[in-house]
Amino acid sequence: MSSFDLVAPASEEEAVAWLARAPTGETAVLAGGTDLLNDLEEQRIAPRHLLSLRRLPWNRWSWTGPALTIGSTTPLVDLEYDPKIRSEFPGLIGAIEAVGSVALRARATLGGNLGRSGSASDLIPMLLALDASAEIVGPSGRRSVPVDALVVASRRPALDPGELIRSVLLPEPRASAYLWQRIRPAQDVSHVGVAAAFSPGDGRWRIALGGVPPRAIRIHPGASELPGRPSKAALEAAARRAAERLPLATDLRATGEYRRLVAHALVIRAVEAAGAMREGAP
Amino acid sequence: MSAVPAALKVNHRPVDLEGVPADERLLDTLRWRLELRGTKEGCRSGGCGACTVLVDGRPTLSCLTLTRELDGREVTTIEGAPDHPAGRAVLEAFESEGAVQCGYCTPGFVMALTGFLGRTPRGHRSTERLLRELQGNLCRCTGYAAIARAVDRAGREAP
Ligand SMILES: Cc1cc2nc3c(=O)[nH]c(=O)nc-3n(C[C@H](O)[C@H](O)[C@H](O)COP(=O)(O)OP(=O)(O)OC[C@H]3O[C@@H](n4cnc5c(N)ncnc54)[C@H](O)[C@@H]3O)c2cc1C
Ligand code: FES
Ligand code: FES
Repeated sequence: MSSFDLVAPASEEEAVAWLARAPTGETAVLAGGTDLLNDLEEQRIAPRHLLSLRRLPWNRWSWTGPALTIGSTTPLVDLEYDPKIRSEFPGLIGAIEAVGSVALRARATLGGNLGRSGSASDLIPMLLALDASAEIVGPSGRRSVPVDALVVASRRPALDPGELIRSVLLPEPRASAYLWQRIRPAQDVSHVGVAAAFSPGDGRWRIALGGVPPRAIRIHPGASELPGRPSKAALEAAARRAAERLPLATDLRATGEYRRLVAHALVIRAVEAAGAMREGAP
Repeated sequence: MSAVPAALKVNHRPVDLEGVPADERLLDTLRWRLELRGTKEGCRSGGCGACTVLVDGRPTLSCLTLTRELDGREVTTIEGAPDHPAGRAVLEAFESEGAVQCGYCTPGFVMALTGFLGRTPRGHRSTERLLRELQGNLCRCTGYAAIARAVDRAGREAP
């Protein structure tokens, strides 16, 4: 017999009400399950109820002018096959394609990736570089929080009890690129992941570095430090400063020194790749 | 609030999900409840691709999917591949290129490729693209060369 039952509310209101009623710690939220099922198997969690989000209308996206709102339960593959998202947010697609295999991405979701808040997440650095915010719904209504303030610790995103991630908002399309270093593309996770995006809004770059515990970091170099079209020397210097901000974390995947070397190289390449997209722009 | 799922279809046949435990994975439903043993269990944790099936035409890891999450959806397994236009071409390509040794990984490769070809017209099937779709599938026997030839052939021959 299953040690938990599975409930699948048909509306957001029902889901929030269910969580408000459930005793703390007894319910786990299920999106795609690619992280959660492994947590259950390894007995890291032992919930009595799984609250499935599958029937909520959160598995789609919408445009409001230039801004893109992605429902938290949208399977990642849906995003990667959409031509408009690919052309407006190339870096996001690059990051999505780095998440496991296609067959994993048929289940894996953006909301689940943020719920997991893993330090090796490939999506979080890109969301940071795109200045993404998450819309949260819970017992006291809706609120919006920058992804930077949400993904504070592995497995413990900054959510209050009973809160759910409803959607993710990307404010404006950006020339952007995501690059990673790992041993095997689909079976390993990134030792270092680097996202770069250029904001046409304020004319500045965003760089974010992931893969390194405890969490991904966001760097916002000034326009003089890293101009829109930086010289080789300026880019080299900005990349060195960015890499030095990485915590010197050594684990079974890589040493801290190695990670900084790789981060330095990837920042240069990611800014160059995103910059090349700007060249092609009108 | 429905705790009871209606049903799902496996290879076009309806499967009643009443009584399927909440923690049962699609992989186990297929292999042990429906006795469709073609779908293989490798790692049971998302890393090998041996358990790949199609859900609504899309390659999906059956080891990381709770069966009752699939109410109303359509599953195609390797047993259903011969009835799938792209699936038939993929099976023939694997056979004629000798891309099978022990065969444990084969159902996963076939379903992953079938899902992609079923949705992707000719002209969008470069070798690089096809192999990228299969990055999640591991084979411990063949060294991949024969699989790569079969994948190319299937890309050319599948409708
Ligand atoms: C083999 C394998 C390889 C992987 N490779 C990568 C990789 O390369 N890069 C990478 O970034 N990730 C990788 N992952 C991790 C994983 O696939 C992602 O984190 C995925 O995006 C999680 O989404 P999900 O819908 O499956 O989440 P689930 O497993 O359903 O949930 C994950 C966590 O988030 C919580 N949660 C889910 N949805 C919400 C919500 N809407 N609101 C609040 N909390 C929520 C759940 O309760 C759970 O704690 C890999 C996983 C596996 C198994
Ligand atoms: S058994 Fe499912 S991916 Fe290995
Ligand atoms: S043929 Fe044996 S694992 Fe691939």
